[in-house]
Amino acid sequence: MNSDASAHLRSCVSAAAGGLVPRHRFSGLLIGLLLAAALLLFPCSQPAIAQSPTELPLELQIDASIDQQNSTAGVPAVEQADADTLLRRTTLDLAGRIPTAKERDWYLALPAQTRQQLLVDRLLQLPDFDFHLRNSLDELLLPERPNDGEFREYLLTAVRERRPWSRMFREMLMASSVDGPDKGAAQFLKSRVRELDDLTNDTAVLFFGVNISCAKCHDHPLVSDWKQDHYYGMQAFFQRTFSSKKNVLLENPLGSVRFKTTAGEDRDAKFMFLTGAVVADATPTLTDEEKKAIEEQVRRLEREDDAQPITVSFSPRQALIETALADQQLYLARNIVNRTWARLLGTGFVDPPDQMHSGNPASHPQLLSDLAADFVQHDYDLRRLIRGIVLSRTYARSSRWTSEAAPPAAQTFAVAAARPLTPRQLAASLQIAVRSSDSWPSVEETLAKPDDWLKRRTDIENQAGAWMREFEQPAADFQIAVDEALFFSNSDRVQSDLLRDGGDRLVGALRSAETPELAAAELWRVVCGREPSAEEIEVVRGWLARAPERRVSDMQSLVWALLAGAEFRFNH
Amino acid sequence: MSDSGLSRRGFLSGATIGVGGALAADMRGVNGLRAEELAGELRRGEKHVILLWLAGGASQLETWDPKPGSKTGGPFGAISTNVAGIQVSELLPKLAQRMHLTAVIRSLNTKIADHGRGADLMERGRLDDPGLRYPDLGAVAARELGRLESTVPDYVSLYTSTEGRRKGTSGFLGARYAPLFLAENMAPPNSALHERLTAAEHQDRAALRDLLSKRFAAEHRSSTVGSLNSAYQRVQGMMASAGLFNIEQEPAEVRARYGPTQFGEQCLIARRLVEAGVPFVKVARAWWDSHGQNFETHLELCADLDHCMSVLLDDLQERGLLEKTLVITLGEFGRTPGINASLGRDHFASAWSCSLSGMGIRGGVVYGATDAEGHTVTDGEASAADLFATILQALGIDHTHEYMVGARPTPLADFGSKPIQAVLA
Repeated sequence: MNSDASAHLRSCVSAAAGGLVPRHRFSGLLIGLLLAAALLLFPCSQPAIAQSPTELPLELQIDASIDQQNSTAGVPAVEQADADTLLRRTTLDLAGRIPTAKERDWYLALPAQTRQQLLVDRLLQLPDFDFHLRNSLDELLLPERPNDGEFREYLLTAVRERRPWSRMFREMLMASSVDGPDKGAAQFLKSRVRELDDLTNDTAVLFFGVNISCAKCHDHPLVSDWKQDHYYGMQAFFQRTFSSKKNVLLENPLGSVRFKTTAGEDRDAKFMFLTGAVVADATPTLTDEEKKAIEEQVRRLEREDDAQPITVSFSPRQALIETALADQQLYLARNIVNRTWARLLGTGFVDPPDQMHSGNPASHPQLLSDLAADFVQHDYDLRRLIRGIVLSRTYARSSRWTSEAAPPAAQTFAVAAARPLTPRQLAASLQIAVRSSDSWPSVEETLAKPDDWLKRRTDIENQAGAWMREFEQPAADFQIAVDEALFFSNSDRVQSDLLRDGGDRLVGALRSAETPELAAAELWRVVCGREPSAEEIEVVRGWLARAPERRVSDMQSLVWALLAGAEFRFNH
Repeated sequence: MSDSGLSRRGFLSGATIGVGGALAADMRGVNGLRAEELAGELRRGEKHVILLWLAGGASQLETWDPKPGSKTGGPFGAISTNVAGIQVSELLPKLAQRMHLTAVIRSLNTKIADHGRGADLMERGRLDDPGLRYPDLGAVAARELGRLESTVPDYVSLYTSTEGRRKGTSGFLGARYAPLFLAENMAPPNSALHERLTAAEHQDRAALRDLLSKRFAAEHRSSTVGSLNSAYQRVQGMMASAGLFNIEQEPAEVRARYGPTQFGEQCLIARRLVEAGVPFVKVARAWWDSHGQNFETHLELCADLDHCMSVLLDDLQERGLLEKTLVITLGEFGRTPGINASLGRDHFASAWSCSLSGMGIRGGVVYGATDAEGHTVTDGEASAADLFATILQALGIDHTHEYMVGARPTPLADFGSKPIQAVLA
């Protein structure tokens, strides 16, 4: 290693060490006491799902682990978020949109102790939940093609039918071309089939939380877990995959991956999973003539519409699926648990989420393992996992930090994160925020007429699809660009559509509000899901006093100022 | 700006929203360095980069490193240039006559041959490390060459075609240095005042937005939250500089020179922007990804590149701008010497070329070499980091200068990179 490279390594390592939060092994006794205390304090957060007597609800497991680690490290947790904030946060996370003013009325009338559980269980039943979970999976798995209709239809079907994540994983990697709503499952691979490196690395990153691309050219410099054997081992599972002229994904019975090690040795890759588990090639030995015939058939399949389909006695992709599902280290489960946590809390236990390896340990390794084990035990049920997380007190903490001191590190989860809305969340929320509070059905009406709500929510979903392109998908250290500010400031779509006047519009409701106080209340309830403060009412009073005739343009400016504001832009 | 709108109308009459104090960005390390550097550098705003991004990966064999007559050479020949001893593909006849302005690097070995990560590498000069997102060249140039008080954008990216479209990233430098990204039109989108608003109304509601966002920003101090308010602070300046994108303002003869192609018009916009003080302009030309029909593709695209870049170099030179402007051709990788069954060339990052012209560059130089069929680098192997070090040196920026990102010193060009002195003036 030359001196520059070693300087680079030193820099990486010292940065990693500087960012580490002290981690401690749990005392089993202490955990038990904490759990018992938590049970006594929060008896109503018992989930409705049947529990074996020894199994604690997920939310209590979460809180015990997070609280214990923070109390050992002396990290104070902030207070719980207020009811309005928690309603907005939970609705954005489960329904993919802000709550309507009618939903807020319902929520605030519930007894405080059972409110969150009733809310969560209502949201899990709404079509909104299916749309939003579908969107979240779509953003994860096919980020470059946000409008792939087939893939989105498949995901929606799978989510609606509550298919286990293990089954969805199988369907996406088998990619068998059946007609019907499941056809789109193949898009995960089809969109990457031209690049073997993309098939290999994206599967490892998105399904297993592992980025092994550094191990392509050399054994990973910092992570002893990943060798070239792992990279090419994973690649071997995909090397025989090809797309026919008819755009069907097939596997070639022949083919292997040969790579050059850094020592210059040529090596044949084994079918090797991340754990080192190796699958033998069960393809029968073929004569040279049989091989030639197969090669010819593959060539024809790539070029001709009517070529004979090819069958394989050994499918490397199926071998990968079975190996991953049998994996005792639970890569598949730990990855989606970590990513779901990161989506709901802002940061994963493992961060970045594709760096799941011994050099980058989880902030809460035991909790991650426990959640992953629970996930597998309950048939890879995403709803159960999500429900457990959003019922925890950890999830419900305030995001406000007013102290002069720096806030605690993200991975302590002691303060909630202000998370930028995704393009679809923002676009769907805008559809709600520009209509008056009266234009929405009550919760009771939604319950009585679920089909009406499905239709309405489907409209919002479609509208959101048309608006989302104006916004950027958040990534790590996301920064909002000036483009978005220009769009809100000057585009005709915002001016003519969002700010339109009319009977069911917020602009119309503000014009007909009898007093500035009522106008302010309507504005903040609809857009921010809370009551305005005294200062905010004062601002509205001052603004309206300029032109008592309530000009449309003045009302539009009021609505605009909140829609373009920081509070609306974030899930906090 | 916004305050005057407020006080003029006086609608607030004393109403305030608590929690004063400006929002501090999270990256004090990055921002702190900036002030020191400014003190010593008075000549900001006078150096520029135009990056002609050959999206999808142009073939080095059909551009800067022809191999006529070899097994991999393809049907096109090589032609002599106005610099003795240097030949380029016959598809670049006009650039061949301007070879004295250009240095060619024929020995890039950047290893990564998939579009996404290849572009990551060639835009940033290195791949992201876990937890550290690097800025691309445009963002670094914007920060190092731009003026804080500038009213023009400092990083403009024109990317009209959809293939391989990438917005670019300012990484850890933050949203201030993110590109003004033009994908749909050649004017910055949403930069004109809406017909139903007066300028005063526009400013008043912006001031109202700022006021109503203050408390939230003060209670949620993250760089992401801060970036929203920063973005709105720049709206007025961006609206004021929109005319730079209007080539109707150029004389007809100048427009005729660049020609009616989209790439030509965008090169003209790039020249206008540079003339107005914009430090970095990227013009993407797609789509060079010729897995099939490589030679037809290059026949068409090289003609466009040859003409537009030649006019651009001439125009910059005539205006005295070329000595202050570095013009780069680069993409995510080159193409395989081997020709596939569809008469295409596939992705190839082991031995490919790029060009540098203008500021800080010794023209009429070829650096590095590949073997007779172009499979490997035989002389002067250069990495992406080396190329970035070279580019920064050409601009007079110390490539070893370090930003502090948190506690982590991070040099402008990656550790171990070495500028290619042979191409530097």
